[in-house]
Amino acid sequence: MVELQIRLVNAFAAQTAIARLMHTVWVWPIAESLHFIGLSLLIGTVGLFDLRLLGVGRHIPLAAMHRLIRWGLVGFGLNAITGSLFLIAEPDQYIFNISFQAKMLFVVLAGCNALSFYAISYRRAIAGTAMEAPRAAKIIAAISLTLWISVIIAGRLLTFYRPFPCEGPAPRFLASCLP
Amino acid sequence: MDPLFRWIESTGLSVWTRESTSILAFPAILSAHAIGMALAVGVNVAIALHLLGMAAGIPTRELRRFSPIMMFGFWLNAASGALLLIAYPTKALTNPLFYVKLGLIGMAMSLSAVIDRRFVRPPQARPPDERASRTARWLAAASLAAWVAAITAGRLLAYTYRRLLVDF
Repeated sequence: MVELQIRLVNAFAAQTAIARLMHTVWVWPIAESLHFIGLSLLIGTVGLFDLRLLGVGRHIPLAAMHRLIRWGLVGFGLNAITGSLFLIAEPDQYIFNISFQAKMLFVVLAGCNALSFYAISYRRAIAGTAMEAPRAAKIIAAISLTLWISVIIAGRLLTFYRPFPCEGPAPRFLASCLP
Repeated sequence: MDPLFRWIESTGLSVWTRESTSILAFPAILSAHAIGMALAVGVNVAIALHLLGMAAGIPTRELRRFSPIMMFGFWLNAASGALLLIAYPTKALTNPLFYVKLGLIGMAMSLSAVIDRRFVRPPQARPPDERASRTARWLAAASLAAWVAAITAGRLLAYTYRRLLVDF
């Protein structure tokens, strides 16, 4: 596992042009702002669709509400791109970071959960005119909301779990050290 | 202002928020601030996208069901933001950008209230697939712009402060 991590860090660290760009004065903060805008877009679309499945605004046809999802994909794409830029620019800060690992796990689970919605309940939920979403769709929606909130929390906690050099003083929060 | 900053920074709440090593102190407050942002901005963005014709089939008036979620996000951020301000009053209040951020949020929330009162709440004659009025579309675009600017200003606060603490 550690070997794989080191290989990943080295692979990302080889992309020196992106790292140099990211470390110019305003690029990192701007990318962070875009990352926050993308997350608001994602929660405003996917999150609201989940809430609709759970029964909020039950007079809105599910098919109409689902049209917001494409904008959620735009938000996700924006965050995948800006997120990759951070990762490439400072690989060791993320690859060895337990909060980052948890965040990626939650993102993958949220993706699988979304796929399960399209495999199991999309047709029944969208085709019908029923106000009430099928039970399976409601469970998937609750899991989706929980996972995306977890992604935000793990993302926000990232900075407190940055690895530190083993020789130096330990930081205030639980973090692993890099030899 | 320094005596005021010094006093705030010496209070128990300020010291706890700033220095506690508990994950439930500063890290949890920051997380709450991000979640509140996602909820408040997210609902406003969805309403704006709808008015701009991006999710046309939604009966506009039904979007009012999401406003309690928007207000929950807003108050969560007012509360978590107040704690962050109590933790670092000098850092925030000596940075002009902090006032820009508050102004942008005030503008965005005012737009939100106007859009809600004029275009979301009224029992509507407009069929779900007809375009929203020109005014509604302009206000929706302004709302999106104000939120993007508010988020950017908030994020840049971490890079633009000149003083961290009153004596530091």
